[in-house]
Amino acid sequence: MGLGRLLGAAAPVIVGVFFVAGWEALVRIGQIPVYILPGPILIAQTLVADWGTLWPSLVVTLKITFAALGVATVGGVALALLFASSRWVERALFPYAVILQVTPLVAIAPLLLIYITDVNVALLVCAWIVAFFPVLSNTTLGLRSADPGLLELFRLYGAGPWSTLFLLRLPSALPYFLGGLRIAGGLALIGAVVAEFTAGTGGTASGLAFRILEAGYRLNIPRMFAALFLISGAGIAIFAGLGLVSRLVLGRWHDSAIDRDA
Amino acid sequence: MALVSLSGLGKTFPSGTRALGGIDLDIREGEFLSLLGPSGCGKSTVLRLIAGLVPPSEGSVARMAGLEGAMGFVFQEPTLMPWTSVLKNVMLPMRLSRVPRAEAEGRALEALARVGLKGFEGAYPRELSGGMKMRVSIARALAARPRLLLLDEPFAALDEITRFRLNDDLRRLWREAGWTVVFVTHSVFESVYLSTRIAVMTGRPGRIAAVRDIDLDPERNADTRTSPAFGAEVRRLQADLAAAMGDGL
Ligand SMILES: Nc1ncnc2c1ncn2[C@@H]1O[C@H](COP(=O)(O)OP(=O)(O)O)[C@@H](O)[C@H]1O
Ligand SMILES: [Mg+2]
Repeated sequence: MGLGRLLGAAAPVIVGVFFVAGWEALVRIGQIPVYILPGPILIAQTLVADWGTLWPSLVVTLKITFAALGVATVGGVALALLFASSRWVERALFPYAVILQVTPLVAIAPLLLIYITDVNVALLVCAWIVAFFPVLSNTTLGLRSADPGLLELFRLYGAGPWSTLFLLRLPSALPYFLGGLRIAGGLALIGAVVAEFTAGTGGTASGLAFRILEAGYRLNIPRMFAALFLISGAGIAIFAGLGLVSRLVLGRWHDSAIDRDA
Repeated sequence: MALVSLSGLGKTFPSGTRALGGIDLDIREGEFLSLLGPSGCGKSTVLRLIAGLVPPSEGSVARMAGLEGAMGFVFQEPTLMPWTSVLKNVMLPMRLSRVPRAEAEGRALEALARVGLKGFEGAYPRELSGGMKMRVSIARALAARPRLLLLDEPFAALDEITRFRLNDDLRRLWREAGWTVVFVTHSVFESVYLSTRIAVMTGRPGRIAAVRDIDLDPERNADTRTSPAFGAEVRRLQADLAAAMGDGL
């Protein structure tokens, strides 16, 4: 590992340390009251002190996130296969997928919460709506991006539609699908949190977004920050985890997974 | 009887491009036939018609019985599956035509050894050089034991040193195995070096302007390229090509 790469890895850490130190210094020197801006040390202390309430809330939010991601993956891939099998199906359905995608979730969530009586199901649907589109569109693109030369080769040797799907189209779509999955992971978390906010105190009264609302009403600003910290942390962990999955799966064959300096 | 017989073969694409207009050509069993012509004259289209990858718009392609499924195709690009090993790539055609796995593996290993890639079975395509990828592509076509091997400018993207070596390999393999080859190229030198017969093509629409037998010693090597007989053949073909281009324009 060269000095350049070491610096490259250290750079964001150095920025983070300066930012946190500057924040703490600002709060202390400016004597800013805790209910306006708590310092990072206090937030860390709150995180530890309130772990008993925050951790179960994190688990609730993550459960919705991963359930939504799972359904989005299965549904997105299934729909992509349907789209790739027929241009007509794609033409008929794709506009609706786009409508779901471009309509802001905060605008649909209240309606869904009214119509779907089980709040957990409503939250799941909200998170799914935002998460499934990248999986669908990326996988559809991937299924269509099989090398035309290889497609001809398959035809020349008399491959049927199933061999072509399993031996050629699905592997070709894999990098695209994994890219979509990485985006979907972050979006599922955002979807879950937004839906929880919309459900508010009428919701399951247990997710991280609810903790933020609740702490806000009580002017418990440090706890709001602690919950926010957990949400960001979860998002980063999901992104990194899916990135790792992607690298492991694509291993030796895809450019995106190869370390050029190695 | 000819292995493949093209008569009055024409192709007009849906876009309106008339790529071929009236090709008559017999492909004889065991020959090494080159299609020589400038780019865009319809060489690839002829090859794809022979393989049955596109339907003709006029005329017909008559293949000897049993030839379907016994044709190998080597494209201009290596066209390998990047997600799997060299060995699995070479086994693909046999997998698609349901050759038992053990037999397919044996034949793939043998084909890889014949193109000089012993030891690279486990490598992935991206780990190979351009010339090695092309060899894998050739091995893939060979392992399926084609009676007719179709090659579409397979070496056009390679450097001259690699190209000469692969030319020698291809000719040696053809002489050993005794299959029939149709080789597309735009290089006069390459076609003379390799072929037993050359069909010169012109474009818009594609036609065959001349057909020449190449009467060189079947044993060809570096000396062949500088021999007077080789030079004479090259000059004859260059004249054919010039004449064809002249009345093509
Ligand atoms: N799929 C296609 N659709 C429309 N035109 C095509 C297609 N394939 C080839 N052509 C046209 O047919 C002509 C012959 O092409 P091709 O057979 O590829 O020539 P060559 O292999 O000799 O370079 C060209 O003018 C090309 O643009
Ligand atoms: Mg061509």
